[in-house]
Amino acid sequence: MTRSGTPDTAHTPHLDRWEVQLRKGCLELAILGVLWPEKLYGLEILRRLESDSDLALSAGTVYPLLARLRAEGLLDAEWVEADAGHPRKYYRLTTTGRRRAAEMARMWSRFASNLGELLSPVLERR
Amino acid sequence: MTIIAPMDARIETFIARLRAALRGMPEGEIADILREIRSHIADLAASQGSDIEAAIRSLGDPVDLAKKYRAENLIARAECSGSTLAILQGLRHAGRTRAGRFTATVFYVTGYVYVVTLWSAAIQKLVFPSRVGLWCIPGDPWSLSLATGGGAPGARELLGWWLVPAAAVAGWALKYLADHAATWWIRRYRRSGEMETS
Repeated sequence: MTRSGTPDTAHTPHLDRWEVQLRKGCLELAILGVLWPEKLYGLEILRRLESDSDLALSAGTVYPLLARLRAEGLLDAEWVEADAGHPRKYYRLTTTGRRRAAEMARMWSRFASNLGELLSPVLERR
Repeated sequence: MTIIAPMDARIETFIARLRAALRGMPEGEIADILREIRSHIADLAASQGSDIEAAIRSLGDPVDLAKKYRAENLIARAECSGSTLAILQGLRHAGRTRAGRFTATVFYVTGYVYVVTLWSAAIQKLVFPSRVGLWCIPGDPWSLSLATGGGAPGARELLGWWLVPAAAVAGWALKYLADHAATWWIRRYRRSGEMETS
């Protein structure tokens, strides 16, 4: 996981743990979000998460999570023959998954917006 | 794009260890997992100049990877099926520490012991109506007890035949509470996800 600390940021163990927890809480939403526009296979999901959301996750974390989201009916998966010489497992959102993603995104947006307002004086002071 | 030989020995060793660690999960799921991991290694190695070692390293230890698959699988089953066995298995993985998992399991099992006691009392009341009941010594609310073989000397039976529906309903209510509390615990753990820092 990348750290977003700046040189003047006092990164205490407590802050590190807090950041990890924060990111963990967003993991499921991030995966549903990255699959919102199109179907993707595992490595594409990993790279898209890293490039678009700064969530550099290990493959060992994402694949089991994809399996669980599929078991819960939020994702659908299909094997597609690829030019690479081997088939790839593509994931796409199911109707339930799209509904869950939309609900979670709305909640996230409302929460972030409210917290942003609350924290604006703190950020301005810096 | 570089195509990786499908029978590379390093890949096969990793896959064999992963397969062994996944033993116990449904065969179809294991086959699907192994196929996907094999595909991931091939894709990643091809994009990194055929560096198979690095691709395998990116997955971590196969035993740890299998543990994560098992945990996510059990958690999904506990949430979706709601069966007692699935919830118990899910609780085994829902908690950061062994003590936390053990405590949650003890609470759940204790809840079920009470459920069985209540249902057992309802059934026994039908078979031995005079010996099974909710007993209380007048003036001493602390003496309230659900007992077979009659109450303590001077105890008076409360509810009578109403014990049968009351114990049955209370048992169902407690089961509902225990299942929902356990599922909430599992969901709470699941929301925290699994994410290593690197």
